[in-house]
Amino acid sequence: MSTTGSSAQAANAETDAAGPKGSAVVPVRARLGRLFAAPIMIWLALTIALPLGYCIWISLTNANTMGGTPRFVGLANYVTVLTDGTVGGPFLRSLAWAIGGAIIQTLLAAGAALLLNRRFAGQHIARTWIMASWVVPTIVTAFLWRWMLNADFGVVNHVLQSLGLIGRPIDFLGDPDFAFITVTLVNAWRWFPFMTLLILAALTRVAPEYYEAARVEGATSWQVFTRVTLPFIQPVLYVVGLLGTLWSINVFDIIWLTTKGGPLDMTETMPVAIYERAFQQFRLGEASAMSVSLALFLLVFAYCFIRFVPRGATEQEVI
Amino acid sequence: MSMMTMATRLGAALLATTAATGVLAQTEVTVWHQEQVQPRIDQFQKVIDAFNESQDEYEVVQQVQSWGNIYQKLPPAVEAGIQPDIQFTIPDFTVTVRDTGVVQPVTEFVERLDEEHGFIEQAVVPYTDDGEVWAVPVYGMIQVLWYRKDMFEAAGLDPESPPQTWDELLSAAETLTGDRTFGIGVPASKSLATDQVLYSFMAANKGQELFAEDGSVAFDTPDNVETLEFYRQLAELSPSGIGSWTWAEPQDALNAGSVAMAIEKGQYLSTFESASGRPASDLGCAPVPVSDDGERASIYYSNGAMIMTDDPDRRAGAEAFLAFVLEPENYAEFLLAEPGLFLPLTEDGATDAWKQAEALQPYQECVELMIEQSTYGKLPGFNRGTVEDAIGPIMAQNLMSQVVQRVVVGDESPADAVAWGQQQMEEALSE
Repeated sequence: MSTTGSSAQAANAETDAAGPKGSAVVPVRARLGRLFAAPIMIWLALTIALPLGYCIWISLTNANTMGGTPRFVGLANYVTVLTDGTVGGPFLRSLAWAIGGAIIQTLLAAGAALLLNRRFAGQHIARTWIMASWVVPTIVTAFLWRWMLNADFGVVNHVLQSLGLIGRPIDFLGDPDFAFITVTLVNAWRWFPFMTLLILAALTRVAPEYYEAARVEGATSWQVFTRVTLPFIQPVLYVVGLLGTLWSINVFDIIWLTTKGGPLDMTETMPVAIYERAFQQFRLGEASAMSVSLALFLLVFAYCFIRFVPRGATEQEVI
Repeated sequence: MSMMTMATRLGAALLATTAATGVLAQTEVTVWHQEQVQPRIDQFQKVIDAFNESQDEYEVVQQVQSWGNIYQKLPPAVEAGIQPDIQFTIPDFTVTVRDTGVVQPVTEFVERLDEEHGFIEQAVVPYTDDGEVWAVPVYGMIQVLWYRKDMFEAAGLDPESPPQTWDELLSAAETLTGDRTFGIGVPASKSLATDQVLYSFMAANKGQELFAEDGSVAFDTPDNVETLEFYRQLAELSPSGIGSWTWAEPQDALNAGSVAMAIEKGQYLSTFESASGRPASDLGCAPVPVSDDGERASIYYSNGAMIMTDDPDRRAGAEAFLAFVLEPENYAEFLLAEPGLFLPLTEDGATDAWKQAEALQPYQECVELMIEQSTYGKLPGFNRGTVEDAIGPIMAQNLMSQVVQRVVVGDESPADAVAWGQQQMEEALSE
């Protein structure tokens, strides 16, 4: 007892001695750290804050894409874009695009990750190969699918017709009934490998003993998935859900390169509508107002997501 | 060393320095154009090299842009004061770019060139506004009807009597449509390609003016409704993928023999034999067919060059280069950047050196036809020598092709679609 008491006193003495010395050192280290971090923080502030501030300023003017001196118009651009009836369609399509894309990509990615997590011959090649669609440039993806889906000589129509599934070729990217879902699938095809990689990384953290224990307890496959696998990948799904939605809503390239927002505006999402407003109608002020409004919406979405959506349990909690 | 010798050597050194400085002071003239195809870039470079070698005052440098990003790239370049000295353009782009305030009028220069070479009227009028000319016409493009003579023959049609009227065109398209072939291929995507084909038919049916004399939009007319109805009928005789077609697909389909007719510009000539595997004699051409009470016409693009510098030296260099290009001996080389698509728009431009070039030689009839058809050319919003500013956003938004889409892929009635187009154009005008 006395020995233990002596040790504690000694430890306290050490702590007391280190206290004043430590408090003198830490601020110096902290100041040094801030100094080292300052350049990149200034750089980030300049490259993010300045363009954002300029965009907000432009949204308060009647700026024309092709020049002239912008005049301050207050919130007139916001009133215009929110009341002229042209933004509702693109906004709803953006939501459908993000939600539909998230569902399709998550299902594909979860399925692919579960398959790739099993041991089989060529597993490493498959894990590498699945990234192909993600690493090829968007322009290649767009043209690849435009050719494959072409109604006149595309392989997809050829296969569908050969199998007797369709009579006449389908203009997947030019028919209003098919264009939106087609581009959503093309985008999902491009992005799901990235999600697969993240989920696969989470799956590799699950020790085989957990599965064995679940089997010993008589759990079905569904129960193993919902009680063991899902809790482990839920934190990853949380991050993917947040970032994926933000990225997805801002996708412009694949839509523009495949359909240009057509046919009949069926694939015109918010980024496409903003681009058209800025560079086809030359109303830069209104386009900036649309951009700022969309950014605000995404900020609110991100806040609500972080605030209300459960992040998933930690490994210790799962165990 | 005597003082005299030293002075002589010093003088020689000064002279040498001055001469060297003179070389270094060569004025650079930057050209931006949107012709991204490598053979066109190479051919432009040949002409540029020839110009640079022909004198030592200026050095021309080309920088390739794209129509996809030029609207985003040019304004910041102007704001930063680093815009090109010469910017290649088409009429509606010129209208838009003039808002930047840096486009220089070239009226006197164009008058001098006109006296020397004789521009066709269709080349200069689209660049004329506010009493000035805003770009130097450089080459023309015209749409005609292209058809496969072998397919006409196989279908029992006379390959030497292509359709001249709308009724004949429709009848021929119906005859030529079979199990695996289509009589015609007209695009129906939201694109400039569709805008252009629709406008050719509009122009051939008294609908060449988008604006009335008082400047109001004049798109919703019975003639244009009739044109849209005709376009719908042609679309029914076209392949099912036309909702995504732009320029390449009709050409590919004509070369592949899956469509027998298409309306397009002269790029079909140079690749027909290699792409189709058929002899040049199988490719036929004719003026765009006209309606019963219409007149011969089709869309014509006068491609020009804007001078965007007010620096006297650079401007002089830009003018010297453009004058060099339009000299008949250099012009042939320039036009061969895209044989058949780039047409001369000066009276002395259709030289034998151009016509007899290897790529064009087998298609003499079509070359002559396109030159002749150029004099019947029209362009939406640019036929009167004054320009409505709204034409820029109207064309940039592809409003005419959106009207086509509403009819062809949206099953809307031509009357409703044209009324919608009128409303959209009026909105563009009100802006």
